[in-house]
Amino acid sequence: MEKIIEEGRIVSLERVLGQIYRLRLHCPKIARAARPGQFVMLRVREGTDPLLRRPFSFSRIYALKGELEILFRVVGRGTLLLSRLPADSTLSLVGPLGNGFTLPADKSAPLAFIAGGIGIAPLLELIAQVVGGRGQKGSGELHLFYGARSAVELLPEEEVTIAGLRSHFATDDGSFGYQGRITRMFEDVLAEGAFRPLQIYSCGPLAMQYNVAKWALANDMPAQLSLESLMACGIGACLGCALAAATPKEAGEERFVHVCEDGPIFSAGSIKWEKILAQQTAPPTWPFN
Amino acid sequence: MGKNPGTANGAPNLAVQLGPLRLKNPVMSASGTFGYGKEYSSFLDLRALGAVVVKGISLKPRAGNPPPRIVETAGGMMNAIGLENVGVEKFLEAKLPFLRELGVPVIVNIFGNTLEEYRELAARLSGAEGVCAIEINVSCPNVKEGGMVFGTDPKMTEAVVRAVRTVTTLPVITKLTPNVTSISELAKAAEGGGSDIISCINTLAAMAVDVFSRRPRLANVVGGLSGPAVKPVAIRCVYEVTRAVKCPVIGIGGIGSATDALEFLLAGASAVQVGTANFTNPAVMSDIIEGISRFLAVEAIEDINSFIGSLDTSCVFPFSEDSCALIKADMD
Repeated sequence: MEKIIEEGRIVSLERVLGQIYRLRLHCPKIARAARPGQFVMLRVREGTDPLLRRPFSFSRIYALKGELEILFRVVGRGTLLLSRLPADSTLSLVGPLGNGFTLPADKSAPLAFIAGGIGIAPLLELIAQVVGGRGQKGSGELHLFYGARSAVELLPEEEVTIAGLRSHFATDDGSFGYQGRITRMFEDVLAEGAFRPLQIYSCGPLAMQYNVAKWALANDMPAQLSLESLMACGIGACLGCALAAATPKEAGEERFVHVCEDGPIFSAGSIKWEKILAQQTAPPTWPFN
Repeated sequence: MGKNPGTANGAPNLAVQLGPLRLKNPVMSASGTFGYGKEYSSFLDLRALGAVVVKGISLKPRAGNPPPRIVETAGGMMNAIGLENVGVEKFLEAKLPFLRELGVPVIVNIFGNTLEEYRELAARLSGAEGVCAIEINVSCPNVKEGGMVFGTDPKMTEAVVRAVRTVTTLPVITKLTPNVTSISELAKAAEGGGSDIISCINTLAAMAVDVFSRRPRLANVVGGLSGPAVKPVAIRCVYEVTRAVKCPVIGIGGIGSATDALEFLLAGASAVQVGTANFTNPAVMSDIIEGISRFLAVEAIEDINSFIGSLDTSCVFPFSEDSCALIKADMD
């Protein structure tokens, strides 16, 4: 599949709430080729600060308009600079990259979508495509489980609700919806027995993804998890975005997968979770400088 | 220099001769930043490059270091990939044919644990159609087997180069580390061992730490620094090495533009390798080649070889001798 380098024009950039921003870019070549779950490497600005591009998934793809929407949270210098760019300025994009989600062939399959924090981003486009593909006669329940630390980090309900989708919300502090982890809420709802998905799609912080994977493996349910990593090139050259891979072979032999080429979508069983949980990246220091 | 723009007839000559190795232009990829070439084929015409230097190859495949493997720093990045690669057999079978069929000159970077491994690799690659040179990596700072143990000792550097030299007729390039007191001594040792060409520099040994987790930012603790931050170190190394040895030198380190590349050529490098900049702009090498060509045309330089090594160190002012004299008179 062809990878494209393209100058994207900022159509709009707005703060949604808290530190979450919505960026809309006009970049017709990449927008036409993009699929949900894939990503672009975005050059926040020219020059050497920051030096590297940053990876972002698509929260919406408007192929006909030639536009992409990127939902991002300000977490460091790159995203801070991005949030301050004026409308009409241009950015260099490389994409679409990665494997993307695989949509179920069965259009009546019940599905679960699990999002943590800004991890809602790639699921929005996926949900839009699944719902759109089912038409009026669409059957099969679609449930979104969407959690964040607090209500100020949760997109407003109307931003995520769509006809044909049942949404469940949770916050760690109970400021909106269920109080507690979204994976706990998901387990509670499934324990009631009324809803049993054929497949799970999830994106969120590593601890959440680990819990989703653990549950999926224990319950023998296929799951597609969108993972992330620090990344220099995004195209399989630098090999910087390695994650420890599950190895069926004898213990001791190490194997790595690369988020940019083998992912960013992985099955629950393909990752050596105990290894990658120990290697979570630290928070940025910029708020103190 | 100083002539009117556009006086050269036609396009300037970009071809360079590095000992036994002839390149159609002096711009190639740096090992480890360009995969096996194919990764970049949708962004630029690989055939336009002087050569493609592929990711370092070992006898057996290597999984590499645990993550985090990279971290961004001011004006640069650090990596500790750990020489992850597919191994020489898979390289020859699955990676080389793509480049060979395109007709791109391929330089294979090799590393090993022992002299025997270097020798075996060189012998294996010698017979392979499409390989135009071997680059000996004696300078990776990130793994014990990366060769830096060879590359920081002149005697061992010479021994590795000789081991490779005796089993191949291909041009041999030795890639040096800057993590030594005197890079010139190593360059002389490599030349003494029979290296046709010297390339420098590999990454600078570096470290970054995090105050929250109180941990190193790389799982390997230390890594190699690359990018614009290292360019002045690299130019100094090229300057010293070109004055210490007779063989041609390839400049590497923080090149991201045509003027960066020209600075290395001016300091004495006969060609350059572009590394980290490929990550920021995957089409950067075609921009660099075009930029060099434009610069030569504007400066009315018909042949790039007349620009190479033309650095004037007799006057620190960027003016002609007359201007220097005038300034001097003025100051008196």
